[in-house]
Amino acid sequence: MLNAPIQVLIEVVSAILCFILLRFMIKPYRLTGESRYLGLPLGFSFLGISYVLGAIAFAQPSFSINALAWLQLLSRTFAYSFWVVTYYFSKEPSKNSQVTWNIIISLLIVALLSSVAAVVIVPQFAANSYQATQIYVRIFNIICLIYISIHTLRSHLENPAPETIWTPFGFILLGISQYSLLIWAIDWSNTAFIGALVLRLAALTIFLLISYRTFYPSKKRCLNEKNFTQG
Amino acid sequence: MKKISRRDKLKIYGDLLRALDSEPKTEKIILSKVQVRINVPFDRLKQYISDLRDLGLIKDDTLHLTEKGKQYLMEYERVLEFMRRMGLTY
Repeated sequence: MLNAPIQVLIEVVSAILCFILLRFMIKPYRLTGESRYLGLPLGFSFLGISYVLGAIAFAQPSFSINALAWLQLLSRTFAYSFWVVTYYFSKEPSKNSQVTWNIIISLLIVALLSSVAAVVIVPQFAANSYQATQIYVRIFNIICLIYISIHTLRSHLENPAPETIWTPFGFILLGISQYSLLIWAIDWSNTAFIGALVLRLAALTIFLLISYRTFYPSKKRCLNEKNFTQG
Repeated sequence: MKKISRRDKLKIYGDLLRALDSEPKTEKIILSKVQVRINVPFDRLKQYISDLRDLGLIKDDTLHLTEKGKQYLMEYERVLEFMRRMGLTY
């Protein structure tokens, strides 16, 4: 395992990256006003919260670690669920899909609140079942990230451009990071744990670069991109 | 046959602002030319132009984009590009 201060630092940096990304991810919703784009900022805010909880857990190992670990696991899983729903509903906007989106997002929020309540109200159950549950939850997370990677890869293949390949790459890295955490949850492999943290940081940095390059383009890059789309 | 999706108001406003911005700044804008470019009926085009005027995005007399209109168009294009890069369709 890494030293506790390094783990705290990585969690804090990841949380900061998520909250910076939140600023960019909310823009599609603010422009269009369509609730189907709300899952992206919601996902990044829950992911940021999960890293904050991780930092608290690593900083104070004696402070109710089980409840914190549960809350971290839940918030991360709901973050990926919000992303999946957003990518699924970004395909075809229609009145029916709008209603379905509203139902699904409400159900997700209810599920999140009831699982948090269950962890807080029955801490004994939470403490006993964490090890077994985290394996299934991490498998679910990997499935979510595989779906998003395929979705973004497909939209890249429909309109291939050098700048659209980075998004699926970022999600694939997050998926491998979750896979490494699954390995770590099963056999406590130190390499898998460190690898997961590095891959997660790399994925978040990629998303940040995509956002910065879109919203703060340099003049040279603007010209290059114009030439690419025209040619 | 490929299904042609309906444009919502936001997309139409975006197309209209783009069309008005591409018109030469020295000449008067001819509405029928803009109408052909963005493909909307003339009566609705007049309504959209009146909406954009009320929002302060285009000038009352020349129909060229105001500073606010240029900023809005730039932000609109960037958000659409961001969504494309993130693999989201709109």
